[in-house]
Amino acid sequence: MTIDNEQLAIRRARQLPDPRVVFALAFVLSSFAVIIREDLWLMTGLMVISLLCAVCIGVDFRQMWRRLKRLFQLLLFVAILRSIFAPSGTILLELWGVQLLTVGGIQIGALVLLRLGLFITSGAMFTCYTVRRLIQGMVQIKMPYELAYMVSVGVRFIPQLAEELKDSLTALQLRGVVIEELKLKKKLSLYTYLILPVIVSSMQNAKELAMSMEMRAFRAARNRTSFYELSLKPSDIVILCGILAFTIFMGVILFIGVTIF
Amino acid sequence: MLELKNISFSYPARERRQNFSLAMEYFAPSGQCTAIMGENGSGKTTLGKLVAGLLRPDAGCVLYDGEDIATWKLGQIGKQVGYLFQEPSRQLFTPRPLEEIAFPLELRGVPKDEAEAKAIELLRQFELEHIKDSTTYTLSRGEKQRLAIAAAMIAEPRFFVLDEPTTGLDKRRRGILAETLRSLMDGGVGILLISHDSVFVDEMQADIRIMDGGRLVN
Repeated sequence: MTIDNEQLAIRRARQLPDPRVVFALAFVLSSFAVIIREDLWLMTGLMVISLLCAVCIGVDFRQMWRRLKRLFQLLLFVAILRSIFAPSGTILLELWGVQLLTVGGIQIGALVLLRLGLFITSGAMFTCYTVRRLIQGMVQIKMPYELAYMVSVGVRFIPQLAEELKDSLTALQLRGVVIEELKLKKKLSLYTYLILPVIVSSMQNAKELAMSMEMRAFRAARNRTSFYELSLKPSDIVILCGILAFTIFMGVILFIGVTIF
Repeated sequence: MLELKNISFSYPARERRQNFSLAMEYFAPSGQCTAIMGENGSGKTTLGKLVAGLLRPDAGCVLYDGEDIATWKLGQIGKQVGYLFQEPSRQLFTPRPLEEIAFPLELRGVPKDEAEAKAIELLRQFELEHIKDSTTYTLSRGEKQRLAIAAAMIAEPRFFVLDEPTTGLDKRRRGILAETLRSLMDGGVGILLISHDSVFVDEMQADIRIMDGGRLVN
Protein backbone atom coordinates (compact mmCIF):
# COMPACT_ATOMS: atom_id res chain seq x y z
CA MET A 1 0.00 0.00 0.00
CA THR A 2 1.46 3.39 -0.93
CA ILE A 3 1.41 6.26 1.58
CA ASP A 4 -1.48 7.93 -0.28
CA ASN A 5 -3.52 4.73 -0.21
CA GLU A 6 -2.70 4.24 3.44
CA GLN A 7 -3.83 7.78 4.28
CA LEU A 8 -6.99 7.23 2.28
CA ALA A 9 -7.67 4.02 4.22
CA ILE A 10 -7.14 5.83 7.55
CA ARG A 11 -9.43 8.68 6.44
CA ARG A 12 -12.06 6.15 5.32
CA ALA A 13 -11.85 4.32 8.67
CA ARG A 14 -12.40 7.64 10.49
CA GLN A 15 -15.52 8.32 8.43
CA LEU A 16 -17.09 5.00 9.42
CA PRO A 17 -19.31 4.86 12.49
CA ASP A 18 -17.76 3.52 15.66
CA PRO A 19 -17.71 -0.33 15.62
CA ARG A 20 -19.84 -0.33 18.78
CA VAL A 21 -22.59 1.45 16.85
CA VAL A 22 -22.48 -1.30 14.23
CA PHE A 23 -22.57 -3.97 16.96
CA ALA A 24 -25.76 -2.38 18.28
CA LEU A 25 -27.24 -2.10 14.79
CA ALA A 26 -26.42 -5.72 13.86
CA PHE A 27 -27.76 -6.93 17.21
CA VAL A 28 -31.06 -5.09 16.79
CA LEU A 29 -31.53 -6.14 13.15
CA SER A 30 -30.72 -9.81 13.71
CA SER A 31 -32.82 -9.94 16.92
CA PHE A 32 -35.87 -8.64 15.06
CA ALA A 33 -35.13 -11.11 12.25
CA VAL A 34 -35.61 -13.87 14.84
CA ILE A 35 -38.55 -12.27 16.63
CA ILE A 36 -40.66 -11.61 13.52
CA ARG A 37 -42.41 -14.91 12.83
CA GLU A 38 -45.02 -14.48 10.10
CA ASP A 39 -45.22 -10.86 9.01
CA LEU A 40 -43.66 -10.90 5.52
CA TRP A 41 -44.12 -7.16 4.97
CA LEU A 42 -42.45 -6.28 8.24
CA MET A 43 -39.56 -8.61 7.45
CA THR A 44 -39.24 -7.07 3.96
CA GLY A 45 -39.19 -3.59 5.52
CA LEU A 46 -36.49 -4.72 7.95
CA MET A 47 -34.46 -6.13 5.07
CA VAL A 48 -34.72 -2.85 3.15
CA ILE A 49 -33.55 -0.90 6.21
CA SER A 50 -30.71 -3.34 6.74
CA LEU A 51 -29.60 -3.01 3.09
CA LEU A 52 -29.74 0.79 3.32
CA CYS A 53 -27.58 0.71 6.46
CA ALA A 54 -25.09 -1.64 4.75
CA VAL A 55 -24.90 0.69 1.73
CA CYS A 56 -24.33 3.72 3.97
CA ILE A 57 -21.55 1.92 5.86
CA GLY A 58 -19.95 1.01 2.54
CA VAL A 59 -20.40 -2.76 2.23
CA ASP A 60 -19.01 -3.92 -1.12
CA PHE A 61 -21.97 -5.96 -2.40
CA ARG A 62 -20.22 -6.98 -5.62
CA GLN A 63 -17.35 -8.55 -3.68
CA MET A 64 -19.84 -10.11 -1.27
CA TRP A 65 -21.77 -11.64 -4.16
CA ARG A 66 -18.54 -13.10 -5.60
CA ARG A 67 -17.58 -14.61 -2.25
CA LEU A 68 -20.97 -15.85 -1.17
CA LYS A 69 -22.52 -16.78 -4.52
CA ARG A 70 -22.71 -20.45 -3.59
CA LEU A 71 -24.17 -19.66 -0.17
CA PHE A 72 -26.89 -17.53 -1.75
CA GLN A 73 -27.75 -20.38 -4.11
CA LEU A 74 -27.93 -22.73 -1.12
CA LEU A 75 -30.20 -20.28 0.74
CA LEU A 76 -32.50 -20.09 -2.25
CA PHE A 77 -32.60 -23.90 -2.36
CA VAL A 78 -33.44 -24.03 1.38
CA ALA A 79 -36.21 -21.44 0.86
CA ILE A 80 -37.69 -23.46 -2.02
CA LEU A 81 -37.60 -26.64 0.11
CA ARG A 82 -39.30 -24.82 2.99
CA SER A 83 -41.91 -23.56 0.56
CA ILE A 84 -42.59 -27.11 -0.73
CA PHE A 85 -42.70 -28.78 2.68
CA ALA A 86 -44.96 -26.21 4.32
CA PRO A 87 -47.89 -25.88 1.90
CA SER A 88 -50.85 -23.68 2.89
CA GLY A 89 -53.37 -21.34 1.30
CA THR A 90 -54.21 -21.17 -2.39
CA ILE A 91 -52.62 -23.94 -4.49
CA LEU A 92 -50.65 -22.61 -7.46
CA LEU A 93 -49.06 -25.86 -8.70
CA GLU A 94 -50.01 -29.44 -7.93
CA LEU A 95 -48.48 -32.60 -9.40
CA TRP A 96 -49.78 -36.13 -8.72
CA GLY A 97 -51.69 -34.86 -5.70
CA VAL A 98 -48.61 -33.20 -4.18
CA GLN A 99 -48.94 -29.47 -3.54
CA LEU A 100 -45.68 -28.11 -4.94
CA LEU A 101 -46.45 -24.41 -4.93
CA THR A 102 -48.85 -22.67 -2.57
CA VAL A 103 -49.23 -19.02 -1.61
CA GLY A 104 -48.57 -19.82 2.07
CA GLY A 105 -45.54 -21.98 1.16
CA ILE A 106 -44.05 -19.20 -0.93
CA GLN A 107 -44.55 -16.76 1.95
CA ILE A 108 -42.77 -19.10 4.36
CA GLY A 109 -39.93 -19.63 1.87
CA ALA A 110 -39.59 -15.86 1.39
CA LEU A 111 -39.53 -15.34 5.18
CA VAL A 112 -36.72 -17.89 5.54
CA LEU A 113 -34.77 -16.24 2.73
CA LEU A 114 -35.22 -12.76 4.20
CA ARG A 115 -34.30 -13.91 7.71
CA LEU A 116 -31.06 -15.53 6.55
CA GLY A 117 -30.38 -12.54 4.27
CA LEU A 118 -30.72 -10.25 7.29
CA PHE A 119 -28.14 -12.26 9.24
CA ILE A 120 -25.73 -12.07 6.31
CA THR A 121 -26.24 -8.32 5.79
CA SER A 122 -25.73 -7.69 9.51
CA GLY A 123 -22.50 -9.70 9.42
CA ALA A 124 -21.35 -8.02 6.21
CA MET A 125 -21.28 -4.63 7.96
CA PHE A 126 -18.30 -5.83 10.00
CA THR A 127 -16.28 -6.48 6.86
CA CYS A 128 -15.80 -2.70 6.50
CA TYR A 129 -13.72 -2.62 9.69
CA THR A 130 -10.22 -3.82 10.43
CA VAL A 131 -9.89 -6.71 12.89
CA ARG A 132 -8.02 -4.38 15.23
CA ARG A 133 -10.93 -1.89 15.40
CA LEU A 134 -13.46 -4.67 15.91
CA ILE A 135 -11.48 -6.17 18.79
CA GLN A 136 -11.08 -2.73 20.34
CA GLY A 137 -14.81 -2.19 20.02
CA MET A 138 -15.54 -5.50 21.75
CA VAL A 139 -13.04 -4.75 24.52
CA GLN A 140 -14.61 -1.33 25.11
CA ILE A 141 -18.06 -2.89 25.56
CA LYS A 142 -16.41 -4.84 28.39
CA MET A 143 -15.95 -8.12 26.58
CA PRO A 144 -12.81 -9.90 27.92
CA TYR A 145 -9.88 -9.35 25.52
CA GLU A 146 -9.26 -13.11 25.15
CA LEU A 147 -12.85 -13.66 24.09
CA ALA A 148 -12.77 -10.71 21.67
CA TYR A 149 -9.55 -12.02 20.15
CA MET A 150 -11.04 -15.53 19.89
CA VAL A 151 -14.03 -14.13 18.00
CA SER A 152 -11.73 -12.33 15.55
CA VAL A 153 -9.61 -15.44 15.03
CA GLY A 154 -12.77 -17.52 14.59
CA VAL A 155 -14.00 -15.17 11.88
CA ARG A 156 -10.69 -15.55 10.07
CA PHE A 157 -11.07 -19.33 10.23
CA ILE A 158 -14.31 -19.34 8.22
CA PRO A 159 -12.62 -18.57 4.86
CA GLN A 160 -9.88 -21.02 5.83
CA LEU A 161 -12.45 -23.80 6.20
CA ALA A 162 -13.77 -23.00 2.73
CA GLU A 163 -10.19 -22.90 1.40
CA GLU A 164 -9.42 -26.32 2.92
CA LEU A 165 -12.53 -27.84 1.36
CA LYS A 166 -11.58 -26.28 -1.99
CA ASP A 167 -8.05 -27.71 -1.69
CA SER A 168 -9.43 -31.18 -0.94
CA LEU A 169 -11.73 -31.03 -3.95
CA THR A 170 -8.87 -29.81 -6.16
CA ALA A 171 -6.57 -32.57 -4.93
CA LEU A 172 -9.28 -35.13 -5.60
CA GLN A 173 -9.86 -33.86 -9.12
CA LEU A 174 -6.13 -33.88 -9.80
CA ARG A 175 -6.28 -37.61 -9.17
CA GLY A 176 -8.57 -37.98 -12.14
CA VAL A 177 -11.97 -37.78 -10.45
CA VAL A 178 -14.39 -35.73 -12.57
CA ILE A 179 -16.76 -34.54 -9.84
CA GLU A 180 -19.24 -33.13 -12.36
CA GLU A 181 -19.73 -36.64 -13.78
CA LEU A 182 -20.39 -38.33 -10.43
CA LYS A 183 -23.93 -39.42 -9.62
CA LEU A 184 -25.76 -37.31 -7.03
CA LYS A 185 -25.54 -40.06 -4.38
CA LYS A 186 -21.77 -40.39 -4.82
CA LYS A 187 -21.37 -36.62 -4.89
CA LEU A 188 -23.24 -36.27 -1.59
CA SER A 189 -21.20 -39.05 0.04
CA LEU A 190 -18.03 -37.34 -1.24
CA TYR A 191 -18.91 -34.03 0.46
CA THR A 192 -19.87 -35.71 3.74
CA TYR A 193 -16.62 -37.71 3.56
CA LEU A 194 -14.51 -34.58 3.07
CA ILE A 195 -16.08 -32.42 5.76
CA LEU A 196 -14.65 -34.33 8.75
CA PRO A 197 -10.98 -34.16 7.62
CA VAL A 198 -11.43 -30.45 6.83
CA ILE A 199 -12.71 -29.81 10.36
CA VAL A 200 -9.92 -31.90 11.92
CA SER A 201 -7.34 -30.05 9.85
CA SER A 202 -8.75 -26.67 10.91
CA MET A 203 -8.69 -27.76 14.54
CA GLN A 204 -5.07 -28.73 14.14
CA ASN A 205 -4.32 -25.31 12.64
CA ALA A 206 -6.11 -23.70 15.57
CA LYS A 207 -3.98 -25.74 17.99
CA GLU A 208 -0.79 -24.65 16.24
CA LEU A 209 -1.96 -21.04 16.26
CA ALA A 210 -2.71 -21.26 20.00
CA MET A 211 0.77 -22.71 20.65
CA SER A 212 2.39 -19.98 18.60
CA MET A 213 0.42 -17.30 20.50
CA GLU A 214 1.36 -18.76 23.88
CA MET A 215 5.01 -18.80 22.83
CA ARG A 216 4.72 -15.09 22.06
CA ALA A 217 3.42 -14.51 25.60
CA PHE A 218 -0.27 -14.08 24.84
CA ARG A 219 -2.07 -13.61 28.19
CA ALA A 220 1.25 -13.22 30.01
CA ALA A 221 0.09 -9.92 31.55
CA ARG A 222 -3.28 -9.81 33.28
CA ASN A 223 -4.17 -6.26 32.34
CA ARG A 224 -3.78 -4.98 28.82
CA THR A 225 -3.63 -1.36 27.84
CA SER A 226 -4.25 -0.06 24.37
CA PHE A 227 -2.50 2.73 22.52
CA TYR A 228 -5.45 3.04 20.20
CA GLU A 229 -8.82 3.72 21.85
CA LEU A 230 -12.22 4.33 20.30
CA SER A 231 -14.30 7.35 21.22
CA LEU A 232 -17.89 8.00 20.19
CA LYS A 233 -18.32 10.98 17.84
CA PRO A 234 -21.49 13.14 17.94
CA SER A 235 -22.65 11.41 14.75
CA ASP A 236 -22.29 8.03 16.50
CA ILE A 237 -24.50 9.25 19.36
CA VAL A 238 -27.11 10.38 16.81
CA ILE A 239 -27.05 6.95 15.11
CA LEU A 240 -27.30 5.19 18.49
CA CYS A 241 -30.35 7.33 19.33
CA GLY A 242 -31.80 6.39 15.93
CA ILE A 243 -31.25 2.69 16.66
CA LEU A 244 -32.93 3.09 20.06
CA ALA A 245 -35.91 4.88 18.49
CA PHE A 246 -36.15 2.18 15.82
CA THR A 247 -36.08 -0.56 18.51
CA ILE A 248 -38.89 1.11 20.45
CA PHE A 249 -40.87 1.60 17.23
CA MET A 250 -40.49 -2.08 16.26
CA GLY A 251 -41.26 -3.16 19.83
CA VAL A 252 -44.52 -1.20 19.72
CA ILE A 253 -45.49 -2.79 16.40
CA LEU A 254 -44.61 -6.32 17.48
CA PHE A 255 -45.67 -6.44 21.10
CA ILE A 256 -48.50 -3.93 21.33
CA GLY A 257 -49.85 -4.93 17.94
CA VAL A 258 -50.03 -1.60 16.07
CA THR A 259 -50.16 -2.40 12.37
CA ILE A 260 -48.75 -0.08 9.75
CA PHE A 261 -48.68 -2.28 6.64
CA MET B 1 4.20 -33.94 -25.40
CA LEU B 2 3.31 -30.98 -23.26
CA GLU B 3 3.31 -27.69 -25.11
CA LEU B 4 2.76 -24.12 -23.94
CA LYS B 5 1.86 -21.67 -26.69
CA ASN B 6 2.45 -17.95 -26.05
CA ILE B 7 1.28 -18.23 -22.48
CA SER B 8 0.79 -15.09 -20.46
CA PHE B 9 -0.63 -14.89 -17.02
CA SER B 10 -0.82 -12.26 -14.30
CA TYR B 11 -2.11 -12.50 -10.77
CA PRO B 12 -4.76 -10.00 -9.65
CA ALA B 13 -3.17 -6.70 -8.58
CA ARG B 14 -3.98 -7.33 -4.90
CA GLU B 15 -1.81 -10.46 -4.92
CA ARG B 16 1.13 -8.33 -6.05
CA ARG B 17 3.12 -10.81 -8.06
CA GLN B 18 4.94 -10.32 -11.27
CA ASN B 19 3.48 -10.90 -14.68
CA PHE B 20 4.25 -14.21 -16.19
CA SER B 21 4.82 -14.81 -19.86
CA LEU B 22 6.21 -17.65 -21.91
CA ALA B 23 6.57 -17.84 -25.62
CA MET B 24 6.25 -21.21 -27.42
CA GLU B 25 7.76 -23.84 -25.14
CA TYR B 26 7.89 -27.60 -25.06
CA PHE B 27 8.18 -29.50 -21.84
CA ALA B 28 8.28 -33.04 -20.62
CA PRO B 29 8.44 -34.98 -23.86
CA SER B 30 7.31 -38.55 -23.20
CA GLY B 31 9.88 -40.42 -21.15
CA GLN B 32 11.95 -37.35 -20.32
CA CYS B 33 12.37 -35.06 -17.37
CA THR B 34 12.53 -31.26 -17.57
CA ALA B 35 13.71 -29.51 -14.42
CA ILE B 36 12.68 -25.93 -13.74
CA MET B 37 15.03 -24.15 -11.41
CA GLY B 38 15.27 -20.55 -10.26
CA GLU B 39 15.04 -18.23 -7.29
CA ASN B 40 12.06 -17.97 -4.96
CA GLY B 41 9.22 -16.06 -6.60
CA SER B 42 10.58 -16.54 -10.11
CA GLY B 43 7.35 -18.22 -11.27
CA LYS B 44 8.22 -21.93 -11.09
CA THR B 45 5.13 -22.92 -9.11
CA THR B 46 2.94 -20.65 -11.26
CA LEU B 47 4.23 -22.48 -14.33
CA GLY B 48 3.44 -25.82 -12.67
CA LYS B 49 -0.08 -24.69 -11.79
CA LEU B 50 -0.69 -23.46 -15.34
CA VAL B 51 0.43 -26.80 -16.69
CA ALA B 52 -1.82 -28.70 -14.26
CA GLY B 53 -4.84 -26.50 -15.06
CA LEU B 54 -5.01 -25.06 -11.54
CA LEU B 55 -4.51 -21.63 -13.05
CA ARG B 56 -5.92 -20.62 -16.41
CA PRO B 57 -3.71 -18.45 -18.66
CA ASP B 58 -4.86 -14.94 -19.63
CA ALA B 59 -3.71 -15.62 -23.16
CA GLY B 60 -2.19 -18.54 -25.04
CA CYS B 61 -2.89 -22.19 -24.43
CA VAL B 62 -1.61 -25.37 -22.83
CA LEU B 63 -1.64 -28.40 -25.12
CA TYR B 64 -1.34 -32.08 -24.27
CA ASP B 65 -0.43 -34.09 -27.34
CA GLY B 66 -1.80 -31.23 -29.43
CA GLU B 67 -5.10 -30.90 -27.53
CA ASP B 68 -5.95 -27.59 -25.83
CA ILE B 69 -6.94 -28.15 -22.19
CA ALA B 70 -8.83 -24.83 -21.90
CA THR B 71 -12.21 -26.55 -22.04
CA TRP B 72 -11.22 -29.60 -19.99
CA LYS B 73 -12.57 -30.07 -16.51
CA LEU B 74 -9.97 -30.33 -13.74
CA GLY B 75 -10.81 -34.00 -13.23
CA GLN B 76 -10.14 -34.67 -16.93
CA ILE B 77 -6.78 -32.92 -16.67
CA GLY B 78 -6.09 -35.02 -13.56
CA LYS B 79 -6.37 -38.16 -15.67
CA GLN B 80 -3.50 -36.87 -17.85
CA VAL B 81 -1.39 -34.96 -15.33
CA GLY B 82 -0.34 -35.90 -11.82
CA TYR B 83 0.42 -32.86 -9.68
CA LEU B 84 2.37 -32.75 -6.44
CA PHE B 85 1.80 -29.60 -4.38
CA GLN B 86 4.74 -27.84 -2.75
CA GLU B 87 3.06 -28.35 0.61
CA PRO B 88 1.89 -32.01 0.89
CA SER B 89 -0.71 -31.28 3.58
CA ARG B 90 -2.68 -29.33 0.98
CA GLN B 91 -3.38 -32.42 -1.03
CA LEU B 92 -3.98 -34.98 1.71
CA PHE B 93 -7.63 -35.03 2.64
CA THR B 94 -8.58 -38.37 4.14
CA PRO B 95 -8.19 -39.57 7.73
CA ARG B 96 -6.13 -42.69 6.81
CA PRO B 97 -3.21 -43.09 4.37
CA LEU B 98 -4.80 -46.17 2.78
CA GLU B 99 -7.98 -44.24 1.97
CA GLU B 100 -5.90 -41.37 0.60
CA ILE B 101 -4.96 -43.59 -2.30
CA ALA B 102 -7.91 -45.97 -2.52
CA PHE B 103 -10.77 -43.46 -2.17
CA PRO B 104 -10.25 -41.61 -5.51
CA LEU B 105 -10.03 -44.99 -7.24
CA GLU B 106 -13.31 -46.09 -5.68
CA LEU B 107 -14.93 -42.85 -6.85
CA ARG B 108 -13.72 -43.66 -10.34
CA GLY B 109 -15.58 -46.96 -10.16
CA VAL B 110 -12.77 -49.35 -9.21
CA PRO B 111 -14.07 -52.10 -6.84
CA LYS B 112 -13.03 -51.54 -3.21
CA ASP B 113 -10.84 -54.69 -2.93
CA GLU B 114 -8.97 -53.87 -6.12
CA ALA B 115 -8.52 -50.22 -5.11
CA GLU B 116 -7.13 -51.23 -1.71
CA ALA B 117 -4.78 -53.80 -3.22
CA LYS B 118 -3.38 -51.16 -5.59
CA ALA B 119 -3.09 -48.69 -2.73
CA ILE B 120 -1.18 -51.15 -0.55
CA GLU B 121 1.19 -51.89 -3.42
CA LEU B 122 1.99 -48.18 -3.79
CA LEU B 123 2.31 -47.70 -0.03
CA ARG B 124 4.77 -50.60 0.05
CA GLN B 125 6.77 -49.02 -2.77
CA PHE B 126 7.17 -45.83 -0.71
CA GLU B 127 7.73 -47.73 2.57
CA LEU B 128 4.46 -46.56 4.06
CA GLU B 129 2.64 -49.86 4.40
CA HIS B 130 3.18 -50.04 8.16
CA ILE B 131 1.30 -46.77 8.67
CA LYS B 132 -1.57 -47.47 6.28
CA ASP B 133 -4.14 -47.25 9.08
CA SER B 134 -2.52 -44.43 11.07
CA THR B 135 -4.00 -40.95 11.22
CA THR B 136 -2.84 -38.92 8.21
CA TYR B 137 -2.59 -35.66 10.21
CA THR B 138 -0.06 -37.09 12.64
CA LEU B 139 2.42 -38.28 10.00
CA SER B 140 5.85 -36.64 9.81
CA ARG B 141 6.66 -34.16 7.02
CA GLY B 142 8.63 -36.80 5.12
CA GLU B 143 5.87 -39.40 5.45
CA LYS B 144 3.29 -36.89 4.25
CA GLN B 145 5.51 -36.05 1.29
CA ARG B 146 5.90 -39.73 0.33
CA LEU B 147 2.17 -40.31 0.75
CA ALA B 148 1.38 -37.29 -1.45
CA ILE B 149 3.72 -38.59 -4.16
CA ALA B 150 2.18 -42.06 -3.97
CA ALA B 151 -1.31 -40.53 -4.14
CA ALA B 152 -0.37 -38.48 -7.21
CA MET B 153 0.77 -41.67 -8.93
CA ILE B 154 -2.38 -43.69 -8.42
CA ALA B 155 -4.20 -42.19 -11.41
CA GLU B 156 -1.33 -43.38 -13.64
CA PRO B 157 -1.07 -40.08 -15.53
CA ARG B 158 1.07 -39.54 -18.62
CA PHE B 159 2.74 -36.43 -17.19
CA PHE B 160 3.84 -35.43 -13.75
CA VAL B 161 4.32 -31.97 -12.35
CA LEU B 162 6.31 -32.36 -9.16
CA ASP B 163 6.79 -29.22 -7.10
CA GLU B 164 9.73 -29.69 -4.73
CA PRO B 165 9.25 -33.45 -4.38
CA THR B 166 12.36 -34.02 -2.25
CA THR B 167 11.47 -31.63 0.59
CA GLY B 168 11.54 -33.55 3.85
CA LEU B 169 12.95 -36.74 2.31
CA ASP B 170 16.12 -38.36 3.59
CA LYS B 171 18.89 -39.45 1.22
CA ARG B 172 17.71 -43.06 0.95
CA ARG B 173 14.07 -42.09 0.28
CA ARG B 174 15.26 -39.56 -2.31
CA GLY B 175 17.02 -42.45 -4.03
CA ILE B 176 13.84 -44.52 -3.97
CA LEU B 177 11.89 -41.60 -5.42
CA ALA B 178 14.46 -41.10 -8.21
CA GLU B 179 14.33 -44.81 -9.01
CA THR B 180 10.52 -44.82 -9.11
CA LEU B 181 10.43 -41.73 -11.34
CA ARG B 182 13.03 -43.20 -13.70
CA SER B 183 11.00 -46.40 -14.04
CA LEU B 184 7.93 -44.26 -14.86
CA MET B 185 9.98 -42.40 -17.48
CA ASP B 186 11.01 -45.73 -18.96
CA GLY B 187 7.29 -46.39 -19.36
CA GLY B 188 6.91 -43.15 -21.36
CA VAL B 189 5.79 -40.77 -18.61
CA GLY B 190 7.01 -37.16 -18.95
CA ILE B 191 8.05 -35.25 -15.85
CA LEU B 192 8.18 -31.53 -15.12
CA LEU B 193 10.32 -31.22 -12.01
CA ILE B 194 10.30 -27.97 -10.06
CA SER B 195 13.15 -28.09 -7.63
CA HIS B 196 15.98 -26.33 -5.82
CA ASP B 197 17.63 -29.70 -5.18
CA SER B 198 20.41 -29.73 -7.77
CA VAL B 199 21.69 -33.14 -6.60
CA PHE B 200 18.30 -34.71 -7.25
CA VAL B 201 17.98 -32.90 -10.58
CA ASP B 202 21.38 -34.29 -11.62
CA GLU B 203 20.32 -37.74 -10.44
CA MET B 204 17.26 -37.51 -12.69
CA GLN B 205 19.45 -36.47 -15.64
CA ALA B 206 16.92 -33.74 -16.32
CA ASP B 207 16.98 -31.09 -19.02
CA ILE B 208 17.53 -28.01 -16.84
CA ARG B 209 15.66 -24.75 -17.53
CA ILE B 210 16.17 -21.64 -15.43
CA MET B 211 13.34 -19.23 -14.60
CA ASP B 212 13.67 -15.60 -13.62
CA GLY B 213 10.94 -12.98 -13.23
CA GLY B 214 8.29 -15.18 -14.84
CA ARG B 215 10.41 -15.97 -17.90
CA LEU B 216 12.59 -18.86 -18.95
CA VAL B 217 16.08 -17.45 -19.37
CA ASN B 218 17.77 -20.36 -21.08
